[in-house]
Amino acid sequence: MDNKKTKVLMAKPGVDGHWRGAMIVSMALRDAGMEVIYLGNQTPRLIVESALQEDVNVIGLSILAAGHMELVTEVLNLLQEKKVKNVLLVVGGTIPREDIPRLKQIGVHEVFPPGSKVENIVKYVAENAYNS
Amino acid sequence: MDAQNKKAFFTGSGIPVKEVYTVEDIKSLNLEKDIGLPGQEPYLRGIYSSMYRQKLWTIRQFTGFGTPAETNARFKYEYEQGATGFSIAFDSVTENGFNPDNPEVAHDVGTGGVNICTLKDMEEMFFGLPIDKLTTAVIASPFPACPLSAMYFALAEKRGINLQMLDGTTQNDLLLFTVCCNSPGTIPPRYLIRLCVDLVEWCAQNTPKWHPVSFASYNYRENGLNACQELGLLFANAIAYIEEELKRNRLKIDDFAPVLSFHLAAHNDFLEEIAKFRAARRMWYKLAHERYGAQNPKSLTLRFHVQTSGSTLTYQQPLNNLIRVAYQVLAAALGGAQSVHANSYDEGICLPTEQGILLSLRTQQIAQHETGVTNVADPLGGAYYLEWLTNEVEKHSWDYLKKVEDEGGLVKAVESGWVHREAVMAMNEYQKQIQNGTRKVVGVNCFESEEEPHQVPLFRPNKEALQIQKAKLAQIKNERDNEVVSQILRELRQVTEKGGNVMPVVLKAVKAYVSLGEICDVWREMYGTWEIPFGKIA
Repeated sequence: MDNKKTKVLMAKPGVDGHWRGAMIVSMALRDAGMEVIYLGNQTPRLIVESALQEDVNVIGLSILAAGHMELVTEVLNLLQEKKVKNVLLVVGGTIPREDIPRLKQIGVHEVFPPGSKVENIVKYVAENAYNS
Repeated sequence: MDAQNKKAFFTGSGIPVKEVYTVEDIKSLNLEKDIGLPGQEPYLRGIYSSMYRQKLWTIRQFTGFGTPAETNARFKYEYEQGATGFSIAFDSVTENGFNPDNPEVAHDVGTGGVNICTLKDMEEMFFGLPIDKLTTAVIASPFPACPLSAMYFALAEKRGINLQMLDGTTQNDLLLFTVCCNSPGTIPPRYLIRLCVDLVEWCAQNTPKWHPVSFASYNYRENGLNACQELGLLFANAIAYIEEELKRNRLKIDDFAPVLSFHLAAHNDFLEEIAKFRAARRMWYKLAHERYGAQNPKSLTLRFHVQTSGSTLTYQQPLNNLIRVAYQVLAAALGGAQSVHANSYDEGICLPTEQGILLSLRTQQIAQHETGVTNVADPLGGAYYLEWLTNEVEKHSWDYLKKVEDEGGLVKAVESGWVHREAVMAMNEYQKQIQNGTRKVVGVNCFESEEEPHQVPLFRPNKEALQIQKAKLAQIKNERDNEVVSQILRELRQVTEKGGNVMPVVLKAVKAYVSLGEICDVWREMYGTWEIPFGKIA
């Protein structure tokens, strides 16, 4: 797997401003050789438009204010609307355990709650990014 | 893994420590001048002579979710269970100065805190609560701090409370939503500081018991910075406010220093945190007295709130968090805090449940009424290690403050991204320590469980909050005199342009039920918005 071909868009959908987690993961992915675009806070629509424009393989969403089901659903709907395929969608943040299968059911590939080992996140992204 | 196999030992901030400390380590200290007595200069040992015998610290839990009515019910629950103060957690929509009917923020309404948009919301949130007897902390970022404080003041006036007697705090910390949290709706820091200080100035003259700023080094710490960086930035921030006020030539230092207050973190290194609280008091005394010539004892004493460190809480084995919080509360007590928020054990997973809040209150009540630590002021004062460490923390903190000043002061260091780069380096280092095991986190990188040993209840925000808040705002816009609203908003623009204090017109606005978003839009239109320069920091 060539991490150099992996392009990640990291974003925080909505206006919750806690950026430590998203930044830590962004730096770890970058250290592993991936290209990471750190978008910061953005609306779901702009996140999906940026993903299209930048032609990324991976979208990382960091959510810490309990709106994860709604925000992720909106991102997924927009991805479908824009016919975006072959993008790995990964979510991190304060996601209660019982919501993890729910998020996976609607189309999220993996969820990393607080305390996830950063090396495991990097490994997962490296192995599953659709390097097409 | 055995502690004995470690080659060197360090405090949480990286200060190397010896096996034992003796009188030799503090012989350079002048016991009278450098340590002294509680309630006396340099206030190292506490701001009151008899400390908690005189007044226990205020039990103030940071609270808010969903609609103002739901938050009101939680406040009432806390009050019934023995809380002695309130603290409002706003949602990110409110913190950014947006209205709930803005479609771009819909999913954040009422999620991470309570949504407050007009005076009506403030009235609902405090309905039936004795705000003349209990103090409230309005944990507002600086951008909406003037209008949100004004809503609270207007509420108090409507209840017939004399504003001269109104007691409480507004957070109003410049770094909170320019560094610690990203805030897409805020204005550039160089304009923001003006609003911050307008509130300080107005309160110093009109609400002498209100603290219009609580410099929140708690939040800098939560972004990975250490105890000494925390204090360095804390005082750099206070200096920025003082300089902004003094350059206006309207007030003297003793006219406004008495209303300044502080909000520190209680992190994991128990003794270093106690040393930090003590060092902070001595540093503030030196700054206020030696640098600015303050004379009033109220100007010289550092009054502070402590919040236990949210970033130390774990998602794994969440009941362990109860123990972490209890130690952190004890550090705050031994450090002489004036008010304390004990985090709830479930905050690594969700907003606190009622059970979580109850345990936070009980943690504090047990510390106050069972442990005996409130009997004696600064009970650890004079201990060789603690006094040595207090000095070390102070020394490193002055060094860090110097670094910020070399960057041109705090506002420049924020706009250039310097403070953010410092935080990024620190949070990365912290993470690496967890990864390589040099920093132990029980349940996360040691003593892990395959399966969660216990189930805990979960808090779910109210999905109706958005619709309720939108409908209420629509009704208000329909019922109020919109001619008057437009006129007040024009007046706000004029006063802001002329450099006058914005508070009188903001107060007039909130009383006419002008919404938070409308007020903040005036400033956004004038100054544009500003976000963390992420491109420059990592």
